[in-house]
Amino acid sequence: MNIKFNNRDPVYIQVIRHFKEQIATGRFEPGQEIPSRRELANQLKINPNTAQRAYKEMEEQGLIYTEGNLPSRITKDASIIKAVREELILEAVNSFIASVQSINVPLDEALQLVKNNYENFTVEQEDIHD
Amino acid sequence: MIEINGMVKRFGRKTILNGVSFTANKGEITCLIGINGVGKTTILNAIMNLTPINSGEVLIDGQNIDKGSYEKVAFIPDAITMLPSMKIEEAMEFMKDYYDCWNQKRADEMLDFFKLNRTDRIATLSKGNTAKVNMLLGLALDVDYLLMDEPFSGVDIFSREQITNVFTSHLVEDRGVIITTHEINDIEHLIDKAVILNDGIVLREFNAEEVRENEGKSIIDVMREVYQA
Repeated sequence: MNIKFNNRDPVYIQVIRHFKEQIATGRFEPGQEIPSRRELANQLKINPNTAQRAYKEMEEQGLIYTEGNLPSRITKDASIIKAVREELILEAVNSFIASVQSINVPLDEALQLVKNNYENFTVEQEDIHD
Repeated sequence: MIEINGMVKRFGRKTILNGVSFTANKGEITCLIGINGVGKTTILNAIMNLTPINSGEVLIDGQNIDKGSYEKVAFIPDAITMLPSMKIEEAMEFMKDYYDCWNQKRADEMLDFFKLNRTDRIATLSKGNTAKVNMLLGLALDVDYLLMDEPFSGVDIFSREQITNVFTSHLVEDRGVIITTHEINDIEHLIDKAVILNDGIVLREFNAEEVRENEGKSIIDVMREVYQA
């Protein structure tokens, strides 16, 4: 797990965001065990109290669950997973709309460009990761 | 909780601290931030009663400092205080003789963690490894509070990372830490609370996550604001 944190958003919110992405893409599978708050703090080099806060919020939002003294796990609730995915998609689409609107790109042109570039773009992104 | 109320310290006619007040909670990392010469080290020395203060008080869990407090609060100065001719194991022995709260098991664990060799002499260690031994000697005390003076200064990036790891490990868990630094970048995400000092007073004391959440500002943003105001 590796997150590039920015310094201006609350760290716990950035952690939750990361978890949501992992859940939406299926990299964190339903019911999968997650690190303890101490392990998470250590992996991400963040304050353990912040890791604790992120887990508490995610527990309240139903993204993770804890039974008794066992390690916490990713939710198995398909409706929550679906909602997370939709939330992220909508967020991305809205920010895309905001940027193309600000430079006066008509919808058709924007859609055409998206269609043309969508496939290639994914490949490029993968290249960067390698 | 460590409470500092109205701390005043003068060196001759020069006033270094002019009524400094702040608190540091157990289970939290509190960072004293300020440029060189602002009095960060003086505050730590005063908490440990190593330098007399002209007025004000220091309360540790509501009590004034006495000789029993040294089993509750440990001070890790910016330079190691052991004799250079000592081996690491001799330095540990020395600590064990002085402190009831010395925890050899934890010290051994940290030797591994920092990849240090117990038979090495302190004089032969690199700067980074000397800093690690210095940390080890303080962290192996079973105390509730740790004061660390500039633990990152003059330390290379990898040693720095190792020292940073200490803060997220069980070595610090549930203890209260006061750390001083003039380089906040490395530990921006690690600290709970920041106390910004200038001209002998506390300019601002705040919880880092709260300021990010309520004002959308990083610690450096806040520093820029208060120093340039």
